[in-house]
Amino acid sequence: MRRKLKTAIKTIILNIFFIICCFIALIPVLYAFSVSLNAQNSLVGSNFSFIPAEFTLHNYKAVFLDKPVLLWMKNSLILSVSTLIIALGVSIPAAYAFSRYRFRGRKAVLYVLLLLNAFPTVLSMFAIYRLLSPMGLVNSKLGLVIVYTGTMAIFGLWNMKGYFDTIPGGIEEAAKIDGANDWQLTTKIVLPLAKPSVIVTAVMILIYVWNEYIYATTFMTGGDQYTLAAGLYSLQATETSGNWPIFAAASLVVSVPVLVIFLLVQKHMVSGLTVGGMKG
Amino acid sequence: MKRKRTIQNRKSHNVRPWLYSAPSLVLIGLIVLFPVLYTGYISLTNMNIYNWFDYTLIGLKNYMTALFVFDAGFLAALLRTVLWTAVNMVLQLVIAFVLASLLNQKELKLRGLYKTILMFPWAMPGYVSILLWKTGIFNSRFGLLNQWMEKLGLQTRVWLSTDVSAFLCCTVVNLWLALPFMIMIMDGALQSVDRSYYECARLNGAGVRQRAFLITLPLIRPVIAPSVIITIFTTFKQFDVVYLLTQQSGSKTGADIHTVLTYAYENAFITNNYGFSSAISILIFLLLIVFSLATRRELKEDG
Repeated sequence: MRRKLKTAIKTIILNIFFIICCFIALIPVLYAFSVSLNAQNSLVGSNFSFIPAEFTLHNYKAVFLDKPVLLWMKNSLILSVSTLIIALGVSIPAAYAFSRYRFRGRKAVLYVLLLLNAFPTVLSMFAIYRLLSPMGLVNSKLGLVIVYTGTMAIFGLWNMKGYFDTIPGGIEEAAKIDGANDWQLTTKIVLPLAKPSVIVTAVMILIYVWNEYIYATTFMTGGDQYTLAAGLYSLQATETSGNWPIFAAASLVVSVPVLVIFLLVQKHMVSGLTVGGMKG
Repeated sequence: MKRKRTIQNRKSHNVRPWLYSAPSLVLIGLIVLFPVLYTGYISLTNMNIYNWFDYTLIGLKNYMTALFVFDAGFLAALLRTVLWTAVNMVLQLVIAFVLASLLNQKELKLRGLYKTILMFPWAMPGYVSILLWKTGIFNSRFGLLNQWMEKLGLQTRVWLSTDVSAFLCCTVVNLWLALPFMIMIMDGALQSVDRSYYECARLNGAGVRQRAFLITLPLIRPVIAPSVIITIFTTFKQFDVVYLLTQQSGSKTGADIHTVLTYAYENAFITNNYGFSSAISILIFLLLIVFSLATRRELKEDG
């Protein structure tokens, strides 16, 4: 009896503890959500509550009508989809080559790539600007796509190469004897088997481009060229001014696609990242 | 005939992989390798806002300034970054371990629900979360923190404007962002531990603490090591949290909590001291390389 009571108390305490933890995990987003729906805008007062007394969709309407959010969304979509296609297009053959062929310089290149990957991307910005500027690629979408593809290329190569390595070569040998070429081997055998890692690589690229704001704000001038990330960055409220309810609404609008994609691939996330892994 | 074919085969074996990987390697060359080399070159010059076109080679002077003149700020930023990494890693590991252990208590029926909610910060776009923390929680006028302080009758304050308080705020946000991944790793590691060890220990009279330190920790150490090392890297290289919370160009908050990365960024893009900034970038790069060489064995064994 006493033991039962003890377990019950323990269970209650545990549950309360985790409810608090979950609240902390959600708090910035919950607050933004409630502010974005609050019709009274009584933000500065101390009588704020998480559930607004009066609901409104006004802030969301303002986001889509008064701010060029749809244009930014289009830019983000163009950039992320083209980056995704090019990055996978160059990374899959490279990963296949480094996984299936043994050639001189293979190990050295793989190793150098790993070391190069340690260089923080933010610090490359000045050099990349000097490189792209004479080619007229600053303030152009093509320029950003090149930057993003190059930035994600090492990750793509290593991550998928690692996964390809875990696929035994036996099936390919058999197909080769039947006269299959490298293209067929890759598209018909390796890619279907490596689906988790290809999906995760693709998602990481998409999310990276969707969330990248430093290059997008530095290389693009003029609000109509902005991506969603850059646009949101320009919308944010400062310490004393700015429209926080609209910013809150815009933040949530920007996050929804990422949240959806993340939830969709969550079950692949662990195996796709750790089996291949950028772990050397 | 057969011999000729093998030679041809071998030749194609040397050419084909390069052909396949050429597009990828060219892109990497342009966007990753070139910046490193160019930064290395600029680090040896006096390029800055006054010497924009007519910069000259000045040898290792920028490196000397960075490493031996404390007032230059690099060493301070480096010490701060090391402190930042240490504080964040210790807190992250301890909190993640405790939370993951509690999640694995058999009395907890709603474990799956809690786990899903706790993963949420990981799924949010990082910069959005940081900006929401900045405005929603820490803002002195409409931030939640000050509203709560007011309710409790305490003095409200400008959270991000002084060094210590800004550093703590950044740490809180970074923990919020990084904990989900660490909890997931710890949780996976804990579940890999064979239950029978605990039964055995319990029969022999081992307490909670003994079980944690003598069984759990030694057993999960190799499992979590690769993820921990990768997290050390990302914490050291963390730019967004410190930059977005305190250093944004145009709306600096007044706190000086530069890490090496924001410090290099400021020298390049705010004060336009390109030569010096490049030297710092190369120093950071060398540090990271040394660290990754030192941890390579650990990663390889488990990965």
